Amino acid sequence: MTLKTAHTAVLALILATSALAGPALAAGASDTEQERTARWQEIAKSIFGDRAIETTDSLVKIDAPARALDAALVPITLTMPEPSRIKAVSLVIDDNPAPYAAKFEFGPAADPAELKLRVRVNNYTDMHAVVETQDGKLYEAKQFVKASGGCSAPMGMSDEEAMKGMGDMRVKFAETAAGKPVEATLMIRHPNFSGMQMNQVTRDYTPARYIDKLTVSAGDKTVFTMTGDISISSNPVINFAFKPDGKPLRVAASDNAGGSWQHSFTPPSPTN
Amino acid sequence: MARLILIGRLAAALAAIGCLAAAPADSPVNVPEPEGLYAGPPKGYTPRTLAGAAVIDAEKLAALMAGPDKPVLIDVAAPDRKPSNFPAGRLWLPVHPSIPGSVWMPEAGAEPLAPGRERLFYARVAELTGGDPAKPVVVFCHVECWGSWNAAKRLVRKGYTGVRWFPEGVEGWQETHETMALREDPAWKAAAEPQAGR
Repeated sequence: MTLKTAHTAVLALILATSALAGPALAAGASDTEQERTARWQEIAKSIFGDRAIETTDSLVKIDAPARALDAALVPITLTMPEPSRIKAVSLVIDDNPAPYAAKFEFGPAADPAELKLRVRVNNYTDMHAVVETQDGKLYEAKQFVKASGGCSAPMGMSDEEAMKGMGDMRVKFAETAAGKPVEATLMIRHPNFSGMQMNQVTRDYTPARYIDKLTVSAGDKTVFTMTGDISISSNPVINFAFKPDGKPLRVAASDNAGGSWQHSFTPPSPTN
Repeated sequence: MARLILIGRLAAALAAIGCLAAAPADSPVNVPEPEGLYAGPPKGYTPRTLAGAAVIDAEKLAALMAGPDKPVLIDVAAPDRKPSNFPAGRLWLPVHPSIPGSVWMPEAGAEPLAPGRERLFYARVAELTGGDPAKPVVVFCHVECWGSWNAAKRLVRKGYTGVRWFPEGVEGWQETHETMALREDPAWKAAAEPQAGR
């Protein structure tokens, strides 16, 4: 029996006995917390199957504002202090209707010590980051966030306005020393419509249109490939670091409606 | 959403120091009660009152729930709408956290509401209140959501005298209290016409 199935079995047992004995057995964890745990188990199983996931406080950490100012634009920082061990990281926003927000698979040109992105949050929720290490193991970290209504929040402009310049990109490079990873901020103009946003006047829903694939390469080597979903905020901004090899940074993005865009950017020469 | 709440608070603060007269007609502090039911955009600033019903905050609601005459709690929030073009293979797992013990009848505050839906709404409330028109009934959805205003108004017009409108909704409740994931009221769901994207 794997750790995961053991967890599930224990949970099933807890649920079964508490159903028999009533709430008396729920001491320690509130009903809300139990509900959150059960939901995470369900989500994890549908994403990772029966693979065991260990909790970690050293391989990945999620930083998010405890209370978000704008639920449609919640800044998330994933910190991975042992970047060389990390193969991929998934971000799950448990209580979003589409919980699997993003997966980043890192390539040889990546330095995944820190990754930042902005997401939509629909309810007060746990967020989970799950990293896969180079040896194929999974580790999870959790963070609670207070925000609600982010998935259906209208953009405050017409769809046409929101789609203007779709696919335009900018990259901002931080100054760096020779031989060190370069920090970059990628900004993509794209409404990333969630499909849950109602036009308040016509009462029609704008169809979902979001970036589902994003590949960043340094020369011929991959930095990361991101699989995205409707939980990523409009006009995505992603901070990451990569190992430069003197060649341009190439970005290829595509969305679920068949749009695709490619741009390349030349990092500044390192300062010595 | 949070931004709207902030603006609301700021406006309320301004109103408190005597700027009320200067507030525009559609500001959060000065939304008039419509004549009948409200048929405009479902999300937006709501009035501060509802004639014939009491307006309560989370603290008053908690006290009511802890009291001897347990209120009937009615949640009329719209369910998360699955995008019509959401890819088949992606995970879609909507959840509806709400006030524990509530009966969820999504969009019972819509205007217009199909006559069959309206009849069922009244029938369900009659069942839940045991036919007692003075029974405390609390109606809510989200903050800045007209659905609960309309649904509460419907009950006032129907002759219920214990109607409480809780405009802060789920957001206001979860600030200080536990929530519970609700499933749609089975009778309400069973009678629903199939709609695209559900």
